[in-house]
Amino acid sequence: MNGQTWLRTAHRLGRALAVLVLLVYVGYLIIYLLYAGALFRWPFDYDQGEGFELHDALLYAHGEWPYRDNAVYPFYASNYPPLFHLLIVPLFALFGPQLVAGRVLSFVATLLTGGVIFAVLRREVGGWWLPALSGLAFWASNYVYQIGPLCRLHTTMVLFELLAIVCIANFEESEHGRRNLIWGLVFLLCAGYTKQLAVFTVLAALAYIFLRDIKKALLAGTALALAAGLIFWLLNTATAGQWWVNIIQANVNSFDYLMTISLLKQWFRLHPLLILLALGYLIYELFWSRLSAYTLWFFFSLATGALSGKWGAGPGYFLTSIAAAALLSGLAVGRLQQLAERRGGWTAAGFALLLPLCYLMQSVLLLHLPTSGPFWTPVARVLGVEEEVMAGQCADFAYYDSIGYTQLGHLPTAADYAAGAEIMRYVRAANGPVLSEEAMFSLLADKEVVTNPTQLRNLYENDLLDVTSLAERIYQQEFELIILRAQFYPDPILGAIWFSYAPVDEICMNGFLYRLLQPADGE
Amino acid sequence: MITKRQLGIFVLVLGGLLLCASLTVDFAGVGGWGELGPLQQIGLCLGALALLVGRLLLLRGDRPA
Repeated sequence: MNGQTWLRTAHRLGRALAVLVLLVYVGYLIIYLLYAGALFRWPFDYDQGEGFELHDALLYAHGEWPYRDNAVYPFYASNYPPLFHLLIVPLFALFGPQLVAGRVLSFVATLLTGGVIFAVLRREVGGWWLPALSGLAFWASNYVYQIGPLCRLHTTMVLFELLAIVCIANFEESEHGRRNLIWGLVFLLCAGYTKQLAVFTVLAALAYIFLRDIKKALLAGTALALAAGLIFWLLNTATAGQWWVNIIQANVNSFDYLMTISLLKQWFRLHPLLILLALGYLIYELFWSRLSAYTLWFFFSLATGALSGKWGAGPGYFLTSIAAAALLSGLAVGRLQQLAERRGGWTAAGFALLLPLCYLMQSVLLLHLPTSGPFWTPVARVLGVEEEVMAGQCADFAYYDSIGYTQLGHLPTAADYAAGAEIMRYVRAANGPVLSEEAMFSLLADKEVVTNPTQLRNLYENDLLDVTSLAERIYQQEFELIILRAQFYPDPILGAIWFSYAPVDEICMNGFLYRLLQPADGE
Repeated sequence: MITKRQLGIFVLVLGGLLLCASLTVDFAGVGGWGELGPLQQIGLCLGALALLVGRLLLLRGDRPA
């Protein structure tokens, strides 16, 4: 074969590899859809805290604030801003007051995020393969997979952040510049009032405007601060100061830098291609081109990730950086593709071969899938993970994740449903409210949700909570049933529980051991 | 519009502040270690990196950042 024939063969092979890679990432999307479908059917908390987010939405639906005095019965308050919960409310008409309403919202937010990444790259880079692969790579991330279909607000914040950055990136457009800037600011406001963590995206957006137009940056920053400040003041006034206590003060938690370093390593180990391409593009723009809004967003999102060592945080804090890296890596590859095509010959052919291989290797690092069932068992066998099980606290799951142990990601089993029904039997049999570390047991039994344990701990650790009243009720055995899973309650509350109550049953559900306690003298 | 040089000065100042803070935090009684703690070491590395990036940006002159 002569040189030209070799070149044509290399290009053909590259195209075949490109199709194969796309299929692999589509496979991840199918796994994601399967997992989401399984969670939509699961009625209990899958991740501790989901039920409390649903409860916040229910409070809004009834015209009540979730920002309350935690020292007063029912000792409950939310520590998140309201937008995600408000967005769930209209979905109750479709799904009823169930977790599925919030889970669908969160899941759709991830789908839209991937879709927007696709659309931006279609416009900036062109073609179909790279934009599609970048969007699919976002959904293929282990973190997105695990957190995406939960009734948690994080993915909705990421969607608003991305929309804000896309709008701000085009604030200098001659025709729609002003409109883009205003929408960008509105989306930033939405992101911030979905979750406080969006503050780093706000900084990225304002930094981008500042680099290009100082006057506009000052105006935009002032307008945003005024709008955000006004809403903040209104909320704080309407809740008699409880907004400030529960949203700001309760979120000043202890920080474990070792946890951050460990999660940073994991984040890099899982997404090296996306991160290295994004970092390379950052360096390129910093020294040889102009910094784009997407690059600054990626840079500032690293700070978001650095906060993952905060108590109550976790890998979810890297979702923004994964979205930014998926987008930026697409821009980087688009630029490299241009350079390779300009050189032509073996450079272009080598690039056409190397690029899908790199994405293929990246896909291997993200490996996560169920390992049982008529379809997944053979797939797991081919991938060499058939024997792998995810060992929970009290049960094993037929699920493999390249992360290693994960609390999330496996599919609920028939045994989990049976365990949930067994716990519900105790809850329904109890007179009056139940003290539970998860809200769904109470909500499904039409009982009042009493306490938000992590919020109580946050406040107690910051010397902002008087636990006397709650401890008194526990000592007086006012609750017929207490359900513990992780023992998140502040130490004096746990002390009161173990002093006045005795375990009556231990039920394994979803890999966790649920301890059911009843008044000690009632045994 | 901000230039690469102006951005470089900003990054240099940030890097310098980070370096100073990392080195002097023990004198303020904040550091929990007798010698350079791990967070201080991270701060020093990031500060040094910022100084390097800032210096390189200065060399890029008046191009738009």
